[in-house]
Amino acid sequence: MAKKTIKVPKIVDGVPMGEVEIEVDDTAGATWGPNDKHRLLNSYLDRVDGPAKATGTAVYTQDVRPAGMLFGRFLMSPYAHARIKKFDPAPAMKIKGVKVVLPVVQVGGEVRFEGQPIAAVAAETPELAEDAVNAISIDYDVLPHAVTAEDATKPGAPVVAAPARGGGGGGGRGGRGANQGDPKTVADALATCDAVVEAEYRTPILHHCCLETHSLVADYHGGDTATVYCSTQGTFSVVQDAARELGVQASKLTSIVQNMGGGFGSKFGVGIAGMWACKLAKAVGAPVKLALSRREEFLAAGNGPGSIQKFKAGASKDGTLVAVDVTQHALPGIGGGNLAGQPYQYTAKTVYRQSTPINTNEDSSVALRAPGHPQANFAMESLMDELAYKIGMDPVEFRKKNANNEAWHRQLDRGAQAIGWANRNPTPGGGKGPLKRGMGCGIGAWGGGGSRSCVVDVTIGQDGSVSVAVGSQDLGTGTRTYVRAIVAEELGLEMGDITEKIGNSTYGNANASGGSTTAASLAPAVKDAVYQARLNMAARVSQLIGAKPEEVIFDKRQISGNGKSLPWKQACAALPTGGLQSRGEWKPGLSGNGAHGASFAEVEVDIETGKVRVTKMCHVQDCGLPLNRKAMESQINGGMIQSMAMALSEGRVMDAELGVMVNPGFGDYKIPGTLEIPELIPIIDDGDTRTVVIGMAEPANIPGVGAVANAVYNACGVRVRELPITPDKILNGLMKMQQIG
Amino acid sequence: MKAFEWANASSVDDAVKLLKPADPKADPDEMPRPMGGGQDLLTSLKAYIVRPPRVVNLKTIQGLDRIEPDGKGGFKIGALTTIVQIEEHADIKAKFPGLAEAAHSIATPQMRNLATIGGNLCQRPRCWYFRLENFNCRKKGGDTCFAATGENKYNAIFGGGQSNYVHPSDLAPMLIALGATISIAGPDGKRTIPLESFFVMPSKDVRRENVLKDGEIVTEIGVPASALAAKSTYLKFKERDSLDFAMSAVAAAVELAPDKTVRQARIVLGGVATIPWRVPAAETALAGKALSDAVLAQVAKAALEGATPMEHNGYKIPLTQTLVRRALAKLNA
Repeated sequence: MAKKTIKVPKIVDGVPMGEVEIEVDDTAGATWGPNDKHRLLNSYLDRVDGPAKATGTAVYTQDVRPAGMLFGRFLMSPYAHARIKKFDPAPAMKIKGVKVVLPVVQVGGEVRFEGQPIAAVAAETPELAEDAVNAISIDYDVLPHAVTAEDATKPGAPVVAAPARGGGGGGGRGGRGANQGDPKTVADALATCDAVVEAEYRTPILHHCCLETHSLVADYHGGDTATVYCSTQGTFSVVQDAARELGVQASKLTSIVQNMGGGFGSKFGVGIAGMWACKLAKAVGAPVKLALSRREEFLAAGNGPGSIQKFKAGASKDGTLVAVDVTQHALPGIGGGNLAGQPYQYTAKTVYRQSTPINTNEDSSVALRAPGHPQANFAMESLMDELAYKIGMDPVEFRKKNANNEAWHRQLDRGAQAIGWANRNPTPGGGKGPLKRGMGCGIGAWGGGGSRSCVVDVTIGQDGSVSVAVGSQDLGTGTRTYVRAIVAEELGLEMGDITEKIGNSTYGNANASGGSTTAASLAPAVKDAVYQARLNMAARVSQLIGAKPEEVIFDKRQISGNGKSLPWKQACAALPTGGLQSRGEWKPGLSGNGAHGASFAEVEVDIETGKVRVTKMCHVQDCGLPLNRKAMESQINGGMIQSMAMALSEGRVMDAELGVMVNPGFGDYKIPGTLEIPELIPIIDDGDTRTVVIGMAEPANIPGVGAVANAVYNACGVRVRELPITPDKILNGLMKMQQIG
Repeated sequence: MKAFEWANASSVDDAVKLLKPADPKADPDEMPRPMGGGQDLLTSLKAYIVRPPRVVNLKTIQGLDRIEPDGKGGFKIGALTTIVQIEEHADIKAKFPGLAEAAHSIATPQMRNLATIGGNLCQRPRCWYFRLENFNCRKKGGDTCFAATGENKYNAIFGGGQSNYVHPSDLAPMLIALGATISIAGPDGKRTIPLESFFVMPSKDVRRENVLKDGEIVTEIGVPASALAAKSTYLKFKERDSLDFAMSAVAAAVELAPDKTVRQARIVLGGVATIPWRVPAAETALAGKALSDAVLAQVAKAALEGATPMEHNGYKIPLTQTLVRRALAKLNA
């Protein structure tokens, strides 16, 4: 906390002896103070919920099982596009233990993607629910579909009308608007360039791969109250939706999110699973759980859009990015996602940009960790790399020349040093033997700012207990830990002295966790609440020790002033029954906006098998005040792993003819395992001295994708422009190069 | 999955009785099924690929989970022996290194602790289309191989046609290279055959991957002592090292003369064909030669002669050639 210097009477052996200057906590309003002056914040704090999660005692939505709970399940469309011709639930209802079958799509209605829920059932066991789904008698008129961009843009292609945006977040941030700039100006500028690259980059539809699939337990027994347990990024965003479906007043419904197993942008609102859990519970007047299976999660829980980005771009020999002509297509299924606008974080003299999504008969895209950014960033960073090689300039220097924020310059230098950039392979594909090493880099940007939304209550008990309550959920980013740390630091206490209460809609309001805004919205409110608590406590204790309230110091579980000191518990004993309540809200000045990051990757490519092994990755990230360095480094590591996976192994594969996803499982949709993890170097950019909280979860996975792709090129000379960079693409690329000679 | 009856078998004979189909003319995927470690069966049940009226638990049979010397320098491996038992067996590691390597390459430690050798040899293919619940491919009794014109990156370059899956077992190619036998028990009694003749191509029976008839189970694998065993290796290429089936694999075993020329060799490819794919032309090309770079290149080429890649799996040819060269170079070291 901030300090100020004041003059106080000097007392020796109880006798006043003039005045002395002392440093006390600033009481003029909450501020964080310098980043290097914290006792708990900006240090390495163990996750307070770590033991519960590691030992399995933490309760997740899918663990919840109220007495009499039924199991919900969907009948899902086997077709990418069809009309329901006949629907007869009678055979399902004949099964003993099956309680209800509700149509989701009515007879005559269309289904527009494989996996679209058509009906929902509730039964006494999951097995009976599945039997019921299989027993439903249903006929379809199968309609023509398009599940690839090629098929969707052919003349006469089936219309895949985009629905009104709803539910899941809808990707795309930082867009620069469609059809921007003047094509003629760009064409003229391209003609003057020393080097021009024409290239098309593609990324597949991606999945969130939350370990806990979308799920909701509606604990409802008829009547006018209900409790819902939901795996969600928004404790409060669930309330209205669930109340509407259950037909109870929002004020009579409690939403509980004690722990949740990952969201990555896919879990705002109740979602389709949650909505139908509520509808089923309402229909039967009993608690219902509906949790998607892994396959269903892949097919119907929302995706991160794929992309096709076509460039014609040029640079001059001095390294100036002169002109960019780009067409960006997001591939958001039936949804409306888009991509961050090119030239992304770089400045070009002139830009012409067109942007239109191409819809296909696939589930709708929703936000996925930095929506629209990794896709745009991969394409732009690949393009920058191609241009740098073409003009013969060091890729790091070329980036510095065209990225006009000093944070990126600082981070590029830091990352280059950490990865050993000076020793990188001078010639792509050069060197002896089949194993080729290479390095690549990229930079990324994000907002991460906070806003007025959170209400936090701090209660100091007569027994010395301290609790901090706010309804906010912990998306997995460590909310519980930093909430505790802010309170403990302000009151001169330790982490174990504080109890945090979160994930409950009866506590103070909080925003949904999206856009990396949780920390920047919540931390200031916690700070404000505990700042008020400290002032309230100081006012009371000052009377006990005969000090002025502003002279009271909270440190080492002692409250001191006027040469006297009271242990924390003793001071609290003087509080009234019911303790001391203090409420805080988000205040400006405690959070900021604008995160920057730089990623570097070192890879080894076996040119005889096509195997790419990432040997080392480094990511430098700023965030203003790091609340908890351990959590932040972990977050950066996670970002690097996710971006590496996007580069090398992840991607939905659709069969164009059948219209279905052929790899809807963790065996075939390949996220990395332990053996894929390289040496990871997370670097918190302490060159950023902003004393405000800025979210940093999403930016950590943006520039790594391009960094890996560029490292692959530097290693073996094969430029793979379509992700993921799998061994077959490397081998095919090498064979093509040999043919060309 | 479809509801089924669970039955614990008390003996091999009991298992055979319990596996007797009520309807001998039922679809092969609707016959009673034996279960060892269940690692493949469970996924097949969940996707309705198999819909048995009864699952017969073999784990309750005593004595089938052991590795025992055969008295002639080889081993008898009970069908219920787990993969991890093979992987960690000191004598196998020392005398049949390729077999320990093949075992180690399978799945994850957790799965290797449950999966059995019998189940590994009898597991169903991983072809994307075969595993799609809603599509009845030829292998499931339909009339189309969707992989032939679909997303066939992981599919077969040898032995396809009717159906184009690849045989998923890692142990099978290595055991065949080591000249292993397989013992089978069934309603018609017991028989032991070379493992090499256990697997069948879709051109012979598109619904099954091996010669097991309804009601038959695998009881034992025999791995004989041979001049090939000491110099054996299994080289598996996985897209994801932590957990994956083979994109391509090579099981190789050679006997070298004192002058380091090849007396005899066995090369069996995995992950590229509908059965473990032995390549006699490559074996012949090695005979009497020293394992020089030039010879390795020639043998690698011979091993892939006759491959018929589809739209997305042509890369398997250079990849497999590399693996053949590297496996043999390793044995020469």
